[in-house]
Amino acid sequence: MTDQTIITARGVTRRFGGLVALDSVDLDVPHGIVQAIIGPNGSGKTTLLNALSGASHADAGSIRIDGKEIFRLRPHRIARLGLARTFQNIRVFSNLTVLENVKVAAACNSPMSMFSIMLSTTTQRQRETEIESAARQALEIVGLAGRADDRPTQLPYAQQRLLEIARALASKPSVLLLDEPAAGMNMTESMTLLDTIAKLKGKGITVLLVEHNVRLVMGISDRVAVLDFGKKIAEGAPSDVQRNPLVIEAYLGRRHRHA
Amino acid sequence: MTVKHWFPLALGAVVALLIPAVTHDNYVIQLLNIAILNAIVVLGLNFATGWVGQINFGQAAFYGLGAYTTGIATKAGLPWITTPFLSVVIVMGASLVLGLPTLRLRTYYLAMTTIGFGEIVRLIIVHWEPVTGGTSGLRAIPGINVFGIGPQGQIQHYYLLIVVLGLAASIAARIRQSSLGRAMIATKDSEIAAEQSGVDTTRTKLIAFTIGAVYAGLAGCLYASSIRFISPDSFSGTQAILLMTMLIVGGMGSIPGCIIGAVGLTILPEALRFLGQWYLVLYGLGVIAVIVLAPGGLASLASRLPRWAGAR
Repeated sequence: MTDQTIITARGVTRRFGGLVALDSVDLDVPHGIVQAIIGPNGSGKTTLLNALSGASHADAGSIRIDGKEIFRLRPHRIARLGLARTFQNIRVFSNLTVLENVKVAAACNSPMSMFSIMLSTTTQRQRETEIESAARQALEIVGLAGRADDRPTQLPYAQQRLLEIARALASKPSVLLLDEPAAGMNMTESMTLLDTIAKLKGKGITVLLVEHNVRLVMGISDRVAVLDFGKKIAEGAPSDVQRNPLVIEAYLGRRHRHA
Repeated sequence: MTVKHWFPLALGAVVALLIPAVTHDNYVIQLLNIAILNAIVVLGLNFATGWVGQINFGQAAFYGLGAYTTGIATKAGLPWITTPFLSVVIVMGASLVLGLPTLRLRTYYLAMTTIGFGEIVRLIIVHWEPVTGGTSGLRAIPGINVFGIGPQGQIQHYYLLIVVLGLAASIAARIRQSSLGRAMIATKDSEIAAEQSGVDTTRTKLIAFTIGAVYAGLAGCLYASSIRFISPDSFSGTQAILLMTMLIVGGMGSIPGCIIGAVGLTILPEALRFLGQWYLVLYGLGVIAVIVLAPGGLASLASRLPRWAGAR
C-alpha cells in the first residue's frame, strides 16, 4: 500500500477544550497527485494540515509519510522526512534576504559542524555552494530569482507567498502542503500560482492543497476531500464531489439537519 | 567582499592599531583593554540574544566564571596555558545545564533562569572567601604566559586583545554566513517556520547560547590574566544589564554594532566623569535617545549614512 500512497492518516483526532476540531479523520493520498482539502470556515482544514506537519500535534491517530510513522514527531524531523509546507498567515524570515530564506530550508538535510564552520573547511564551502544552487533553483521555479537579495518584506504579498513555496521546495520534499496559497492574490496571480502547482506535480511532488476558494481548486486537483465540522464528509474526483448533496449542504447551509 | 564591506573594516583596524601611538597613558590603554574584553562578551551575547532572540542575563556570570576559574587556577600554581581550556569546560558545562531544560520552552524562561544563575554565581563568589577572596576579590593574578612567552605592559596586552577580538568577530561573521547562522535568525523570526524548514530550533538555541557562554568564558580568562585583579562587582547583575544595553545601543544582530556598543558604553562613563553625579543622567538620556531615534542601534545609523549621501 505504501507503494502508491504517500500520506496515510488514520483516525486523526484533535480537540481544543470541548471542541472537536478533527474527528477521527482518515486520509489516503496517492503518490504524485494534487489533492485538495476543502471545507467551510472552521471545518478543520488548517488543523489537519498542522497535524500532518507536526506544527500542532493530533491527540490521537496515526500518520504515515511514505510508510514512516510521524505521529508526534517534532516538525523539523517531519520536514527532514520529506514533508514541507507553507502557511496561511505568511511566515517569512524578515531578518534574512529572500535567498537566505530559501537557503534555510535548502540546508535541511546537511549536518553542520561548528569546527568546519569556524575553519571554513573545503567541505563546508562545498556544502554552502550546493545549498546556494539549490536555493537559486527553487527561486527560479516560482519566478523570484530576480529578487534574491531583497528583504522578503519588500516583496508584494503574493510574492511573499511564492517565497514560502520556494522555501518549501528547497528542502526537496516529496509532499508539499499549501495552506490557502491563493489568499490575498488577484486573478492573474492566482493563475500563475496554478501554473506553478502544475509544474510541481510535473516534478513528481505530491501537493496537498487546503483552499477556501472551491472554484480555484477544482480545475487543478486530481482528488478532493471535503471537511465539515472536523469530519470528512466526502472524497473523490472533483466532479463527483461537486455533485455530492452533503457537500452542497455544507457549503450552502442547513448544517443543523443532523442535530 | 566589496569596497563597501572592507573599507570600514580596514579603517577600524588602522585606528585600533594606531591608538597606542597617540596615547601612552596606561589608564587609557587599560580602559580600552576592558572595552575590548567587553566587546568579545557582547559578541557572544549577540548569538543567543541578537540572532536567536532569547533574552540572556547570564552573560556577566559566564564572564565571571571564566575570570575566577583562571584567577583561582593560576594562583594555585597551574600553568596559564591550561586556563582557557578550564574556563571553556566550566562555562560550557554551566550553559548546557542551564540551557538544556529551559531552551525547549518558548518565551522568557531563559531570561528568568539566567537571572537566577547570575545571582547564584555572585553569591558563591562573595561567600566562598577562602577561594574567591570574597568581596575584596583576587589580586596579583599571574599574567598570560605561554611557555615563558607573554605580553608585557598594557600596550602589548592591548595588541593581543585586539587580535583576539578580530578572531572573535571573524568567527561570528563566519557563523552568520553559514547554515547555522541562518538557522539562528530564522528561529528568531519564526520558530514554527524554521522548524517546518528542517531547523532543529531547540538545538540551534542551545548552540547559540553555548557559543555565547564560551565567548564570555574566554574573555573572562583574558580579563583575569591581563587586568590581574578581579572582584565580584565586575560580574554582577548590573554588569549583565550593562552588557545587554551595549548590545541594544550598538545594534542587535550586527557584529560591528556589538563592538561599537561595547567600546562606547565602556568608555563613556569615564569620559563623562567630570560631570560628577550628573553623568548618570546624561548617560541614561543618551541611551534612551539611541533607542528612540535609532531602534536598530548605532550600527543601523552607519548603514543608513550611504543612503543619505546617495540621495543628495
